[in-house]
Amino acid sequence: MSLPLLVGMIFLFNVMTFGNGPVMIPLLQKNLVEEQAVLTVDQLLYSFAIARVTPGQANMYVAAIGYMLYGWVGAILCVLAITLPGYLMIPLLKGFEHFKNNQQVKSFTRGLTTTSVGLIFAATLQIGKSSLTSLIAWVVFLVALGLTYLLKWNPILTLVVASVVGVLLKLWA
Amino acid sequence: MLTSQDCGESVFIMEEKAEQAEQKDQENGTAQPAPKLSYRELFMIFITAGLAFGGGLGILAVLEDEFVSKRKLVSKEEFLADYALGRVVPSGTMTALAVGFGYRFGGWLGTVIALIGLVLPAFVITIALTIAYGYLKQGPLLDWLPITVLPAALAFIVAAAVKLGKDVFKPSLDFVLAASAFVGAFVFGLNPALLLIVGGIIGIFIFGRKKPEGAAQ
Repeated sequence: MSLPLLVGMIFLFNVMTFGNGPVMIPLLQKNLVEEQAVLTVDQLLYSFAIARVTPGQANMYVAAIGYMLYGWVGAILCVLAITLPGYLMIPLLKGFEHFKNNQQVKSFTRGLTTTSVGLIFAATLQIGKSSLTSLIAWVVFLVALGLTYLLKWNPILTLVVASVVGVLLKLWA
Repeated sequence: MLTSQDCGESVFIMEEKAEQAEQKDQENGTAQPAPKLSYRELFMIFITAGLAFGGGLGILAVLEDEFVSKRKLVSKEEFLADYALGRVVPSGTMTALAVGFGYRFGGWLGTVIALIGLVLPAFVITIALTIAYGYLKQGPLLDWLPITVLPAALAFIVAAAVKLGKDVFKPSLDFVLAASAFVGAFVFGLNPALLLIVGGIIGIFIFGRKKPEGAAQ
């Protein structure tokens, strides 16, 4: 694993997933955690948690991954890798506006998004196997899922309350 | 809620009109003040957007407020058209919008200023929290991560996946496609990148004939 390879991977995955943060997770899990083994599951999860509690775009966790592997240079290059494709906006603005209602592009994105739902669940099970190893971890996971999905709490509050539950359970046990 | 549909207004026509107006001004010598933004204002707008919570939609709300409601620099139709275009760009939609608005109001330098504004808040906080992780990992707090932040992060991922597919969780072609992808990845260990591309191509065939409907997110 080298820096150019990492940046190239992030660039490619971001373009393939149209810059959608969660959709990149299965790709990163497969390539960085399983195949290259340069990142641990914990590091990937922590990066994604950061992205949820930080303002701004949800795909900014590539900066965390870049920083973990290659420091400041890695962080900056990874952000550039997900940013530069945005410049395609300029030729689009200048006259290819018919693309915006292009049915094929829309159907392609929808197929890709739908596929990614299955892929994310597969990646979640993989990650869960190595991450949810204790009963307390399971309880925290389910509490967080209920708060964020069912009750639609904001991520920061969800993270704080779920963490407090985990801490209390461990102290009590 | 903003959708990518029904924005029939063409950006191209808008630009043509703007160019014509500009030429007219030059001929008359009377500068009809075209909407202008200083670099500083541009930066302030995008750093405000970059500080918004709630991902893409949170940012979108700030941009709509600043460009359309407050400053009236672009019409609602133009804004929606730009948003729809941004969704076609293979980067984050908000990244594309920053490039679009930055270019429109400040040329190439404007794109850099808008992008820096958009990215800076998240970048700084992300790096700070990543550095904090380095310390947590070495300290006695390490034991606490697996029962606090990490399972919560997994919950965020699951919630994001569920929200992505509107039609995935009822009997539909969407369900079949997502389920096949799950089996392909989890049972057969196929490469997710390959599955994504195949899924997109299948999407063209199975979703292409239905009435137009935007893909989720």
